[in-house]
Amino acid sequence: MNDFNNLTRRELLKISGLSIAGITFLAACGAQSGVVESPNVASAGTVPPTTALGQVVISDTVLLRTAASLEYNAIDTYTQVLEGGLLTGDYASLKDAVKRFRDDHISHAAAINALVVGYGGKAHECANTRVSSLYVDPALKLITADGNADAARDVVTLAHALENLAAQTYQGVVALLAEPKLRGSAMRVGQDEARHAVVLAQVLNPGYLAIGPSTDEATGKAKVASVPSTIRSAAGASVGVPPSSIIFKSPNIAVTPYMCASGTNAKRQDHFTAPR
Amino acid sequence: MKQFSALVVGYPNYRGLTSRLLSPQKKETRVTTKISAAAPTAPPKMPTTADKQLLDFALSAELSVHDLYLKAIDSGMLSADEKLMMQMFSEHHKAYAQSLNGLLGKEASNTRNEALFSTYAGQLTSAQAMSRVLQSVENTMVATHTDILSSLQGLDGATLVASIITVEARHAAVFGTLPNLSLSSALSSAASSLAPNAAPAATTTETTVAP
Repeated sequence: MNDFNNLTRRELLKISGLSIAGITFLAACGAQSGVVESPNVASAGTVPPTTALGQVVISDTVLLRTAASLEYNAIDTYTQVLEGGLLTGDYASLKDAVKRFRDDHISHAAAINALVVGYGGKAHECANTRVSSLYVDPALKLITADGNADAARDVVTLAHALENLAAQTYQGVVALLAEPKLRGSAMRVGQDEARHAVVLAQVLNPGYLAIGPSTDEATGKAKVASVPSTIRSAAGASVGVPPSSIIFKSPNIAVTPYMCASGTNAKRQDHFTAPR
Repeated sequence: MKQFSALVVGYPNYRGLTSRLLSPQKKETRVTTKISAAAPTAPPKMPTTADKQLLDFALSAELSVHDLYLKAIDSGMLSADEKLMMQMFSEHHKAYAQSLNGLLGKEASNTRNEALFSTYAGQLTSAQAMSRVLQSVENTMVATHTDILSSLQGLDGATLVASIITVEARHAAVFGTLPNLSLSSALSSAASSLAPNAAPAATTTETTVAP
Protein backbone atom coordinates (compact mmCIF):
# COMPACT_ATOMS: atom_id res chain seq x y z
CA MET A 1 0.00 0.00 0.00
CA ASN A 2 1.13 3.50 -0.68
CA ASP A 3 1.97 5.58 2.42
CA PHE A 4 0.55 8.65 0.72
CA ASN A 5 -2.88 7.19 1.29
CA ASN A 6 -2.42 7.64 5.00
CA LEU A 7 -1.36 11.31 4.92
CA THR A 8 -3.52 13.83 6.65
CA ARG A 9 -4.49 17.05 4.93
CA ARG A 10 -2.04 18.99 7.16
CA GLU A 11 0.89 16.65 6.30
CA LEU A 12 0.10 16.94 2.60
CA LEU A 13 0.22 20.73 2.74
CA LYS A 14 3.59 20.55 4.56
CA ILE A 15 5.07 18.36 1.82
CA SER A 16 3.79 20.68 -0.89
CA GLY A 17 5.31 23.64 0.85
CA LEU A 18 8.70 21.91 1.14
CA SER A 19 8.61 20.98 -2.55
CA ILE A 20 7.99 24.56 -3.63
CA ALA A 21 10.77 25.79 -1.36
CA GLY A 22 13.17 23.19 -2.79
CA ILE A 23 12.40 24.10 -6.39
CA THR A 24 12.89 27.78 -5.62
CA PHE A 25 16.24 27.03 -4.02
CA LEU A 26 17.46 24.97 -6.96
CA ALA A 27 16.39 27.70 -9.39
CA ALA A 28 18.36 30.21 -7.39
CA CYS A 29 21.43 27.98 -7.60
CA GLY A 30 21.20 28.09 -11.39
CA ALA A 31 20.68 31.36 -13.20
CA GLN A 32 21.26 33.68 -10.27
CA SER A 33 24.44 32.10 -8.94
CA GLY A 34 26.55 32.55 -12.05
CA VAL A 35 26.38 29.00 -13.38
CA VAL A 36 27.10 29.05 -17.13
CA GLU A 37 24.28 27.51 -19.12
CA SER A 38 25.24 24.67 -21.41
CA PRO A 39 23.17 23.03 -24.19
CA ASN A 40 24.81 19.72 -23.35
CA VAL A 41 23.36 17.02 -21.20
CA ALA A 42 25.32 16.94 -17.92
CA SER A 43 28.24 14.54 -18.25
CA ALA A 44 31.71 13.90 -16.97
CA GLY A 45 34.61 15.20 -19.06
CA THR A 46 34.57 17.46 -22.08
CA VAL A 47 31.79 17.08 -24.60
CA PRO A 48 32.97 17.64 -28.16
CA PRO A 49 31.10 20.31 -30.12
CA THR A 50 28.29 19.07 -32.36
CA THR A 51 27.53 20.06 -35.91
CA ALA A 52 23.92 20.65 -36.79
CA LEU A 53 22.50 18.80 -39.77
CA GLY A 54 22.21 20.94 -42.86
CA GLN A 55 18.85 22.27 -43.95
CA VAL A 56 17.56 20.12 -46.82
CA VAL A 57 14.85 21.33 -49.10
CA ILE A 58 12.65 18.54 -50.41
CA SER A 59 11.94 20.08 -53.76
CA ASP A 60 10.17 18.71 -56.79
CA THR A 61 13.60 17.99 -58.23
CA VAL A 62 14.54 15.82 -55.26
CA LEU A 63 11.29 13.90 -55.61
CA LEU A 64 11.85 13.36 -59.31
CA ARG A 65 15.44 12.23 -58.79
CA THR A 66 14.20 9.67 -56.31
CA ALA A 67 11.64 8.46 -58.82
CA ALA A 68 14.46 8.15 -61.35
CA SER A 69 16.45 6.10 -58.85
CA LEU A 70 13.57 3.65 -58.56
CA GLU A 71 13.46 3.32 -62.33
CA TYR A 72 17.10 2.25 -62.19
CA ASN A 73 16.22 -0.30 -59.48
CA ALA A 74 13.78 -1.84 -61.94
CA ILE A 75 16.22 -1.63 -64.86
CA ASP A 76 18.99 -3.27 -62.85
CA THR A 77 16.71 -5.99 -61.53
CA TYR A 78 15.37 -6.89 -64.96
CA THR A 79 18.92 -6.87 -66.33
CA GLN A 80 20.04 -9.29 -63.62
CA VAL A 81 17.06 -11.50 -64.33
CA LEU A 82 17.81 -11.62 -68.04
CA GLU A 83 21.58 -11.93 -67.80
CA GLY A 84 21.36 -14.43 -64.97
CA GLY A 85 19.03 -16.68 -66.94
CA LEU A 86 16.60 -16.69 -64.04
CA LEU A 87 13.51 -17.19 -66.18
CA THR A 88 13.50 -20.90 -66.80
CA GLY A 89 11.00 -23.57 -67.75
CA ASP A 90 7.59 -22.28 -68.69
CA TYR A 91 8.57 -18.85 -67.46
CA ALA A 92 11.23 -18.57 -70.16
CA SER A 93 8.48 -17.30 -72.44
CA LEU A 94 8.37 -14.18 -70.31
CA LYS A 95 11.78 -13.02 -71.53
CA ASP A 96 10.32 -10.79 -74.21
CA ALA A 97 7.94 -9.28 -71.71
CA VAL A 98 10.75 -8.59 -69.28
CA LYS A 99 12.81 -6.96 -72.04
CA ARG A 100 9.83 -4.82 -72.91
CA PHE A 101 9.35 -3.82 -69.28
CA ARG A 102 13.04 -2.97 -68.95
CA ASP A 103 12.90 -0.84 -72.07
CA ASP A 104 9.88 0.95 -70.67
CA HIS A 105 11.77 1.70 -67.47
CA ILE A 106 14.75 2.98 -69.44
CA SER A 107 12.37 5.26 -71.26
CA HIS A 108 10.74 6.36 -68.00
CA ALA A 109 14.12 7.11 -66.41
CA ALA A 110 15.12 9.21 -69.39
CA ALA A 111 11.84 11.11 -69.27
CA ILE A 112 12.04 11.76 -65.54
CA ASN A 113 15.67 12.81 -65.77
CA ALA A 114 14.81 15.20 -68.57
CA LEU A 115 12.34 16.82 -66.20
CA VAL A 116 14.97 16.91 -63.45
CA VAL A 117 17.43 18.68 -65.75
CA GLY A 118 14.68 20.97 -67.02
CA TYR A 119 13.99 22.01 -63.45
CA GLY A 120 17.62 22.80 -62.81
CA GLY A 121 18.67 19.53 -61.18
CA LYS A 122 21.23 16.89 -62.07
CA ALA A 123 20.08 13.72 -63.77
CA HIS A 124 20.07 10.72 -61.46
CA GLU A 125 21.38 7.68 -63.29
CA CYS A 126 21.72 4.90 -60.79
CA ALA A 127 19.56 2.75 -58.57
CA ASN A 128 18.39 3.75 -55.11
CA THR A 129 20.91 1.96 -52.92
CA ARG A 130 18.61 1.79 -49.94
CA VAL A 131 15.90 0.04 -51.95
CA SER A 132 18.54 -2.24 -53.41
CA SER A 133 20.05 -3.16 -50.07
CA LEU A 134 16.76 -3.51 -48.19
CA TYR A 135 14.56 -5.13 -50.79
CA VAL A 136 16.03 -6.13 -54.13
CA ASP A 137 19.38 -7.63 -53.18
CA PRO A 138 18.07 -9.80 -50.31
CA ALA A 139 15.20 -10.97 -52.51
CA LEU A 140 17.52 -11.91 -55.38
CA LYS A 141 19.82 -13.68 -52.91
CA LEU A 142 16.92 -15.79 -51.67
CA ILE A 143 15.70 -16.47 -55.19
CA THR A 144 19.07 -17.63 -56.46
CA ALA A 145 19.88 -19.71 -53.37
CA ASP A 146 20.59 -23.37 -54.04
CA GLY A 147 17.59 -25.61 -53.81
CA ASN A 148 14.96 -23.02 -54.70
CA ALA A 149 12.73 -24.97 -57.06
CA ASP A 150 10.44 -22.00 -57.67
CA ALA A 151 13.14 -19.50 -58.61
CA ALA A 152 11.51 -18.44 -61.88
CA ARG A 153 8.14 -17.87 -60.27
CA ASP A 154 9.81 -15.98 -57.44
CA VAL A 155 11.46 -13.70 -60.00
CA VAL A 156 8.03 -12.86 -61.42
CA THR A 157 6.78 -12.22 -57.89
CA LEU A 158 9.68 -9.85 -57.25
CA ALA A 159 9.04 -8.05 -60.54
CA HIS A 160 5.37 -7.72 -59.64
CA ALA A 161 6.30 -6.23 -56.27
CA LEU A 162 8.70 -3.77 -57.87
CA GLU A 163 6.14 -2.64 -60.42
CA ASN A 164 3.55 -2.11 -57.69
CA LEU A 165 6.12 -0.23 -55.65
CA ALA A 166 6.89 2.04 -58.57
CA ALA A 167 3.21 2.61 -59.42
CA GLN A 168 2.36 3.47 -55.82
CA THR A 169 5.40 5.68 -55.49
CA TYR A 170 4.39 7.78 -58.47
CA GLN A 171 0.89 7.97 -57.06
CA GLY A 172 2.24 8.91 -53.64
CA VAL A 173 4.55 11.58 -55.03
CA VAL A 174 1.57 13.43 -56.49
CA ALA A 175 0.69 14.61 -52.99
CA LEU A 176 4.18 16.05 -52.55
CA LEU A 177 4.88 17.72 -55.88
CA ALA A 178 4.22 21.44 -55.85
CA GLU A 179 3.99 21.86 -59.62
CA PRO A 180 0.71 20.53 -61.08
CA LYS A 181 2.24 19.74 -64.47
CA LEU A 182 4.76 17.48 -62.78
CA ARG A 183 1.97 15.58 -61.06
CA GLY A 184 0.52 14.77 -64.46
CA SER A 185 3.93 13.74 -65.74
CA ALA A 186 4.43 11.47 -62.72
CA MET A 187 1.15 9.70 -63.34
CA ARG A 188 1.87 9.28 -67.06
CA VAL A 189 4.75 7.11 -65.95
CA GLY A 190 2.98 5.66 -62.90
CA GLN A 191 0.06 4.30 -64.89
CA ASP A 192 2.53 2.48 -67.13
CA GLU A 193 3.96 0.72 -64.07
CA ALA A 194 0.44 -0.25 -63.01
CA ARG A 195 -0.08 -1.86 -66.42
CA HIS A 196 3.12 -3.86 -66.01
CA ALA A 197 1.90 -4.99 -62.59
CA VAL A 198 -1.39 -6.23 -64.06
CA VAL A 199 0.33 -8.39 -66.68
CA LEU A 200 2.62 -9.90 -64.04
CA ALA A 201 -0.32 -10.41 -61.66
CA GLN A 202 -2.11 -12.34 -64.37
CA VAL A 203 0.93 -14.56 -64.82
CA LEU A 204 1.06 -15.24 -61.08
CA ASN A 205 -2.66 -15.61 -60.51
CA PRO A 206 -4.55 -15.86 -63.78
CA GLY A 207 -8.19 -15.81 -64.66
CA TYR A 208 -11.26 -13.68 -64.15
CA LEU A 209 -11.56 -14.61 -60.50
CA ALA A 210 -8.03 -13.33 -59.87
CA ILE A 211 -8.76 -9.83 -61.14
CA GLY A 212 -10.23 -8.54 -57.89
CA PRO A 213 -9.03 -9.16 -54.35
CA SER A 214 -9.31 -12.72 -53.09
CA THR A 215 -7.97 -14.77 -50.23
CA ASP A 216 -6.17 -18.08 -50.18
CA GLU A 217 -8.47 -20.28 -48.13
CA ALA A 218 -5.63 -22.49 -46.96
CA THR A 219 -3.33 -19.75 -45.71
CA GLY A 220 -5.78 -16.93 -45.11
CA LYS A 221 -3.46 -14.60 -47.00
CA ALA A 222 -4.42 -12.24 -49.80
CA LYS A 223 -3.77 -13.61 -53.26
CA VAL A 224 -2.14 -11.59 -56.01
CA ALA A 225 -4.80 -9.44 -57.66
CA SER A 226 -4.69 -7.49 -60.90
CA VAL A 227 -6.87 -4.75 -59.42
CA PRO A 228 -6.21 -5.02 -55.68
CA SER A 229 -8.76 -2.50 -54.47
CA THR A 230 -11.06 0.26 -55.51
CA ILE A 231 -10.68 3.43 -53.50
CA ARG A 232 -10.27 4.19 -49.83
CA SER A 233 -11.58 7.67 -49.18
CA ALA A 234 -12.36 10.83 -51.01
CA ALA A 235 -9.69 13.35 -50.16
CA GLY A 236 -6.17 12.06 -49.98
CA ALA A 237 -7.30 8.70 -51.25
CA SER A 238 -4.87 6.00 -52.15
CA VAL A 239 -5.77 3.12 -54.37
CA GLY A 240 -3.93 -0.09 -54.99
CA VAL A 241 -1.50 -2.08 -52.92
CA PRO A 242 -1.18 -1.28 -49.21
CA PRO A 243 0.37 2.11 -48.52
CA SER A 244 3.24 0.50 -46.64
CA SER A 245 4.84 -0.03 -50.01
CA ILE A 246 4.81 3.64 -50.88
CA ILE A 247 8.27 5.07 -50.79
CA PHE A 248 7.11 8.63 -50.38
CA LYS A 249 5.01 8.23 -47.30
CA SER A 250 5.35 11.70 -45.90
CA PRO A 251 7.47 14.81 -46.31
CA ASN A 252 9.39 13.74 -43.20
CA ILE A 253 11.32 11.02 -44.98
CA ALA A 254 15.04 11.35 -44.51
CA VAL A 255 16.97 12.90 -47.35
CA THR A 256 20.44 11.49 -47.45
CA PRO A 257 23.35 12.07 -49.73
CA TYR A 258 24.76 8.87 -51.07
CA MET A 259 27.17 7.60 -53.64
CA CYS A 260 26.03 5.89 -56.80
CA ALA A 261 27.55 2.48 -56.57
CA SER A 262 28.39 2.41 -60.23
CA GLY A 263 32.16 2.17 -60.16
CA THR A 264 34.16 5.04 -61.54
CA ASN A 265 31.09 7.08 -62.27
CA ALA A 266 30.22 7.18 -58.61
CA LYS A 267 28.97 10.58 -57.63
CA ARG A 268 27.16 12.24 -54.78
CA GLN A 269 23.40 12.19 -55.08
CA ASP A 270 20.65 13.81 -53.07
CA HIS A 271 17.53 11.74 -52.99
CA PHE A 272 14.92 10.30 -50.72
CA THR A 273 15.41 6.95 -49.13
CA ALA A 274 12.82 4.70 -47.61
CA PRO A 275 11.92 5.50 -44.01
CA ARG A 276 14.32 3.92 -41.60
CA MET B 1 5.33 -25.99 -63.09
CA LYS B 2 2.07 -26.36 -61.29
CA GLN B 3 1.57 -22.64 -60.93
CA PHE B 4 2.07 -21.90 -64.57
CA SER B 5 -0.36 -24.58 -65.62
CA ALA B 6 -2.93 -22.64 -63.66
CA LEU B 7 -2.18 -19.73 -65.93
CA VAL B 8 -3.49 -21.54 -68.96
CA VAL B 9 -6.58 -22.92 -67.30
CA GLY B 10 -7.61 -19.69 -65.61
CA TYR B 11 -9.17 -18.37 -68.77
CA PRO B 12 -10.77 -20.49 -71.46
CA ASN B 13 -8.35 -20.45 -74.42
CA TYR B 14 -5.93 -18.48 -72.35
CA ARG B 15 -2.87 -20.41 -73.52
CA GLY B 16 -0.02 -18.28 -74.75
CA LEU B 17 -0.50 -15.16 -72.68
CA THR B 18 3.13 -14.29 -72.63
CA SER B 19 3.93 -15.32 -76.16
CA ARG B 20 1.35 -12.84 -77.35
CA LEU B 21 3.44 -10.02 -76.04
CA LEU B 22 4.97 -7.95 -78.72
CA SER B 23 8.63 -8.33 -79.31
CA PRO B 24 10.49 -5.82 -77.23
CA GLN B 25 9.88 -2.41 -78.62
CA LYS B 26 11.54 0.62 -77.23
CA LYS B 27 8.96 3.15 -76.28
CA GLU B 28 10.16 6.64 -76.91
CA THR B 29 9.24 9.07 -74.21
CA ARG B 30 9.36 12.67 -75.23
CA VAL B 31 9.75 15.44 -72.77
CA THR B 32 9.54 19.13 -73.37
CA THR B 33 10.20 21.52 -70.58
CA LYS B 34 9.96 25.23 -70.21
CA ILE B 35 10.81 26.60 -66.83
CA SER B 36 9.73 29.75 -65.10
CA ALA B 37 12.08 31.50 -62.74
CA ALA B 38 9.40 32.06 -60.13
CA ALA B 39 9.84 30.15 -56.91
CA PRO B 40 7.05 27.62 -56.34
CA THR B 41 4.52 28.34 -53.64
CA ALA B 42 2.84 25.72 -51.46
CA PRO B 43 -0.18 24.29 -53.27
CA PRO B 44 -3.63 24.71 -51.70
CA LYS B 45 -5.29 21.72 -50.06
CA MET B 46 -8.84 22.24 -51.23
CA PRO B 47 -9.87 22.52 -54.89
CA THR B 48 -9.82 26.00 -56.37
CA THR B 49 -12.73 27.29 -58.41
CA ALA B 50 -11.02 26.19 -61.61
CA ASP B 51 -10.27 22.80 -60.04
CA LYS B 52 -13.94 22.31 -59.25
CA GLN B 53 -14.91 22.71 -62.88
CA LEU B 54 -12.40 20.07 -63.90
CA LEU B 55 -13.35 17.72 -61.09
CA ASP B 56 -17.01 18.09 -61.99
CA PHE B 57 -16.14 17.13 -65.56
CA ALA B 58 -14.33 14.08 -64.20
CA LEU B 59 -17.37 13.23 -62.09
CA SER B 60 -19.72 13.40 -65.08
CA ALA B 61 -17.36 11.22 -67.10
CA GLU B 62 -17.22 8.64 -64.30
CA LEU B 63 -21.01 8.47 -64.19
CA SER B 64 -21.06 7.88 -67.95
CA VAL B 65 -18.56 5.04 -67.72
CA HIS B 66 -20.50 3.49 -64.87
CA ASP B 67 -23.62 3.55 -67.04
CA LEU B 68 -21.72 2.07 -70.00
CA TYR B 69 -20.74 -0.88 -67.83
CA LEU B 70 -24.34 -1.29 -66.67
CA LYS B 71 -25.43 -1.37 -70.29
CA ALA B 72 -22.87 -4.08 -71.04
CA ILE B 73 -23.87 -6.09 -67.97
CA ASP B 74 -27.55 -5.91 -68.87
CA SER B 75 -26.96 -6.89 -72.49
CA GLY B 76 -27.16 -10.62 -71.80
CA MET B 77 -24.15 -11.19 -74.05
CA LEU B 78 -21.52 -11.67 -71.36
CA SER B 79 -20.40 -14.86 -69.68
CA ALA B 80 -20.83 -15.12 -65.91
CA ASP B 81 -17.13 -14.40 -65.38
CA GLU B 82 -17.13 -11.41 -67.70
CA LYS B 83 -20.22 -10.11 -65.98
CA LEU B 84 -18.59 -10.40 -62.55
CA MET B 85 -15.54 -8.52 -63.73
CA MET B 86 -17.57 -5.75 -65.30
CA GLN B 87 -19.74 -5.44 -62.22
CA MET B 88 -16.60 -4.90 -60.19
CA PHE B 89 -15.32 -2.27 -62.61
CA SER B 90 -18.68 -0.51 -62.72
CA GLU B 91 -18.69 -0.35 -58.93
CA HIS B 92 -15.23 1.19 -59.04
CA HIS B 93 -16.43 3.94 -61.34
CA LYS B 94 -19.41 4.55 -59.09
CA ALA B 95 -17.05 4.84 -56.13
CA TYR B 96 -14.93 7.39 -58.02
CA ALA B 97 -18.00 9.42 -58.88
CA GLN B 98 -19.07 9.35 -55.25
CA SER B 99 -15.61 10.37 -54.08
CA LEU B 100 -15.51 13.27 -56.50
CA ASN B 101 -19.00 14.20 -55.38
CA GLY B 102 -17.78 14.20 -51.79
CA LEU B 103 -14.96 16.54 -52.69
CA LEU B 104 -17.19 18.92 -54.64
CA GLY B 105 -20.11 18.92 -52.24
CA LYS B 106 -22.99 21.10 -53.33
CA GLU B 107 -21.11 22.14 -56.43
CA ALA B 108 -21.25 18.66 -57.93
CA SER B 109 -23.57 18.46 -60.91
CA ASN B 110 -24.04 14.69 -60.60
CA THR B 111 -25.16 14.23 -64.17
CA ARG B 112 -23.51 11.91 -66.62
CA ASN B 113 -21.68 13.18 -69.68
CA GLU B 114 -24.17 12.36 -72.43
CA ALA B 115 -21.69 12.89 -75.24
CA LEU B 116 -19.30 10.35 -73.77
CA PHE B 117 -22.05 7.87 -73.06
CA SER B 118 -23.66 8.05 -76.49
CA THR B 119 -20.31 7.86 -78.30
CA TYR B 120 -19.61 4.42 -76.88
CA ALA B 121 -23.03 3.00 -76.00
CA GLY B 122 -23.86 2.14 -79.59
CA GLN B 123 -20.62 0.21 -79.99
CA LEU B 124 -21.40 -2.38 -77.30
CA THR B 125 -22.70 -4.87 -79.83
CA SER B 126 -21.01 -8.13 -78.79
CA ALA B 127 -18.98 -9.54 -75.92
CA GLN B 128 -15.75 -9.03 -77.84
CA ALA B 129 -16.73 -5.52 -78.89
CA MET B 130 -17.57 -4.72 -75.27
CA SER B 131 -14.10 -5.69 -74.10
CA ARG B 132 -12.49 -3.64 -76.86
CA VAL B 133 -14.74 -0.61 -76.41
CA LEU B 134 -14.60 -0.58 -72.63
CA GLN B 135 -10.81 -0.89 -72.75
CA SER B 136 -10.79 2.11 -75.01
CA VAL B 137 -13.09 3.94 -72.59
CA GLU B 138 -10.76 3.13 -69.69
CA ASN B 139 -7.75 4.37 -71.63
CA THR B 140 -9.63 7.53 -72.52
CA MET B 141 -10.46 8.06 -68.86
CA VAL B 142 -6.81 7.60 -67.91
CA ALA B 143 -5.75 10.19 -70.48
CA THR B 144 -8.52 12.55 -69.40
CA HIS B 145 -7.78 12.30 -65.70
CA THR B 146 -4.04 12.69 -66.32
CA ASP B 147 -4.75 15.83 -68.31
CA ILE B 148 -6.97 17.13 -65.54
CA LEU B 149 -4.36 16.25 -62.92
CA SER B 150 -1.80 18.39 -64.73
CA SER B 151 -4.02 21.42 -64.13
CA LEU B 152 -5.35 20.83 -60.65
CA GLN B 153 -3.93 23.16 -58.01
CA GLY B 154 -5.51 21.65 -54.90
CA LEU B 155 -3.83 18.64 -53.38
CA ASP B 156 -7.01 16.86 -52.27
CA GLY B 157 -8.33 16.76 -55.81
CA ALA B 158 -4.92 15.84 -57.21
CA THR B 159 -4.40 12.87 -54.90
CA LEU B 160 -7.90 11.59 -55.54
CA VAL B 161 -7.54 11.83 -59.31
CA ALA B 162 -4.11 10.19 -59.16
CA SER B 163 -5.57 7.24 -57.27
CA ILE B 164 -8.30 6.92 -59.90
CA ILE B 165 -5.76 6.96 -62.73
CA THR B 166 -3.84 4.05 -61.20
CA VAL B 167 -6.85 1.78 -61.02
CA GLU B 168 -8.33 2.75 -64.37
CA ALA B 169 -5.00 1.97 -66.02
CA ARG B 170 -5.25 -1.42 -64.35
CA HIS B 171 -8.76 -1.89 -65.72
CA ALA B 172 -7.52 -1.14 -69.22
CA ALA B 173 -4.61 -3.54 -68.82
CA VAL B 174 -6.88 -6.31 -67.56
CA PHE B 175 -8.88 -6.10 -70.78
CA GLY B 176 -5.62 -6.53 -72.67
CA THR B 177 -4.93 -9.80 -70.86
CA LEU B 178 -8.29 -11.26 -71.87
CA PRO B 179 -8.14 -13.96 -74.52
CA ASN B 180 -9.97 -11.94 -77.16
CA LEU B 181 -7.75 -8.85 -77.06
CA SER B 182 -4.13 -8.15 -77.91
CA LEU B 183 -1.82 -8.23 -74.93
CA SER B 184 0.12 -5.31 -76.34
CA SER B 185 -3.01 -3.24 -75.74
CA ALA B 186 -2.54 -3.90 -72.03
CA LEU B 187 0.73 -2.00 -72.05
CA SER B 188 0.15 0.86 -74.44
CA SER B 189 -2.51 3.44 -74.98
CA ALA B 190 -2.94 6.04 -77.66
CA ALA B 191 -6.15 7.42 -76.18
CA SER B 192 -6.76 11.14 -76.21
CA SER B 193 -7.98 13.26 -73.36
CA LEU B 194 -11.55 14.53 -73.29
CA ALA B 195 -10.82 17.11 -70.63
CA PRO B 196 -12.00 20.64 -71.32
CA ASN B 197 -9.38 23.31 -71.56
CA ALA B 198 -7.99 23.74 -68.11
CA ALA B 199 -7.60 27.09 -66.46
CA PRO B 200 -4.27 28.74 -67.25
CA ALA B 201 -1.57 27.56 -64.94
CA ALA B 202 -0.16 29.97 -62.40
CA THR B 203 3.37 29.46 -63.70
CA THR B 204 4.73 29.22 -67.20
CA THR B 205 6.10 25.76 -66.64
CA GLU B 206 5.18 23.41 -69.41
CA THR B 207 6.03 19.77 -69.19
CA THR B 208 4.95 16.90 -71.32
CA VAL B 209 5.91 13.28 -70.97
CA ALA B 210 4.36 11.67 -73.97
CA PRO B 211 4.70 7.93 -74.10
